[in-house]
Amino acid sequence: MAVAQISVFAENQPGHLGRILVALETAGINVHGFLAADTGDCGIIRFIVDKPDLGLAVLREAGFAVTRTDVLCVRLPDKPGELARVMGILAAANINVGYSYSLISTLIAIHVDDIAATEAVLRHQPIDLVSQDNMIW
Amino acid sequence: MSSDFFAPEIETASRERIRAIQLEKLKNQVAWAYDRVPWYKARFQERGLKPADIQSLADIARLPFTDKQVLRDTYPYGLCAIPLDDVLRLHSSSGTTGKPIVIGFNQHDLDIWSDCVARMVAMVGVTRADRVQMAFGYGMFTGGFGLHYGCEKLGCMMVPAGSGNTERHLMMIEDYKTTVLISTPSYALHMCEVGEACGFDWQASSLRVGLFGGEPCTPGLKREIESRMHIVCTDNYGLTELSGPGVGGECLHSREHNHIAEDQFLWEIIDPRTGEPLPEGSEGELVLSTLDRQAFPMLRYRTHDLTAITTEPCACGRTHARMTKVRARTDDMLIVRGTNIFPTQVEDVLSVIQGVTPHYRIVIDNETGLDRMTVMVELKPEAISDSFEEMDRFRHHVVDRLRQTLLVTPVVKLIEPNGIERSFGKSKHVEDRRSKL
Repeated sequence: MAVAQISVFAENQPGHLGRILVALETAGINVHGFLAADTGDCGIIRFIVDKPDLGLAVLREAGFAVTRTDVLCVRLPDKPGELARVMGILAAANINVGYSYSLISTLIAIHVDDIAATEAVLRHQPIDLVSQDNMIW
Repeated sequence: MSSDFFAPEIETASRERIRAIQLEKLKNQVAWAYDRVPWYKARFQERGLKPADIQSLADIARLPFTDKQVLRDTYPYGLCAIPLDDVLRLHSSSGTTGKPIVIGFNQHDLDIWSDCVARMVAMVGVTRADRVQMAFGYGMFTGGFGLHYGCEKLGCMMVPAGSGNTERHLMMIEDYKTTVLISTPSYALHMCEVGEACGFDWQASSLRVGLFGGEPCTPGLKREIESRMHIVCTDNYGLTELSGPGVGGECLHSREHNHIAEDQFLWEIIDPRTGEPLPEGSEGELVLSTLDRQAFPMLRYRTHDLTAITTEPCACGRTHARMTKVRARTDDMLIVRGTNIFPTQVEDVLSVIQGVTPHYRIVIDNETGLDRMTVMVELKPEAISDSFEEMDRFRHHVVDRLRQTLLVTPVVKLIEPNGIERSFGKSKHVEDRRSKL
């Protein structure tokens, strides 16, 4: 049920993120969410898009250094305490969150080492896990 | 005698015979320069020397050195020993600062040059049956015309494509079934990349030998091109001031050395700091003298190339001395925080690290007061990870490997694939931004 994430290795330079987004736009790919953090001279910019395979191919073709990773994606009601509830469940199961970010709507992407085990933990809870196909709003 | 000798008699002459030829030619060359070039005459007179004082090969150490600066000071014709009407061709090297270095040739010089190149090319197994594709630019650079005429002298079919237009080069390999490629190593690597991207089948191609030059070719770079192009990669030794390619070349039995054409060039190894001669086998700066050059005789030219020379017999049967491949130049040396560093050391380290390409750049600055060396290292696509920690661990690994060899801790920046500019001439690997105050 994991969702595909595109990671782009990028130097920290003006215009780099823009070039990636233009390449995606040109191919008609919609970005649902992204994470670009201040990781020094070079970093990894992560994207969740509607057509991940096409996105990977397009970026690779355009010369970007890309790799594909899986993340879990959950849809939360937009009200206080929901994110705390999810993180609480993961903490109780002793699962460490590598990184996490929110997408459009209140979709939250979560990266952990063991996707399947974490998915199993969340599946037993009242949490709306989102698959690639039902990322529709 | 195997068929890979162009001039077997001279290439396999006894050491005694080579020395006798050298002494006879040296005496003539010294007299030629003294009689015809005022600059040489003046230098000899300053030392109270006459050509007749040269009675042994060791006497050459009594002569003054020449270097790039002399050629700049006498630019363009100051060292020319013959009337300009008799000069058939000029070649020059791109000067990084100021005027270029210019050398002229008459028919005699051109004949000797193509002879030396033909020998050198035959040394790596090229024969008259080969079809040679030229990817050097022609122009003033000695590499293009030098190898062109040398290969023709050997009897090869020349395809004078020149530099650039990679797709056309690939088409020519396919259509003309060329067997030998002449290019810079970085251009060959570029051809690999372009070919692979458009599905060119290197394994099935007719190419079998690469003759590389124009810029340093490290063992790692050779291995990389050999495995991707499925050819034997060779390089050779030459410099514009001494005619260009053909001064020396590797044979298939001694890939880490270049046989020097000793009947045409007299070598010495000196201590670059004191200028004193060093014994055979020591590493030092290579000094070369032409032995039979009419237009631009060069005596005791300081190459600034560091090498060591042996006259031990070679398995190929050639008796001419072998110099180890030049991996460093006295003027490439960088001093970072008091430590001597050669860019080739960085190249060697990178060539054994998985996940990085052979492309790199070194930037040195002292913005913070202390020297800082930054090495930009280009990642291969498969080395990209989603984990920042993993990338950072990899970066630290590169720092450690460089530190172990350089004895200085560099800053390492990981650059995305194809992020380092490719060059088709001499690669610009080093940028020294230190203020000279």
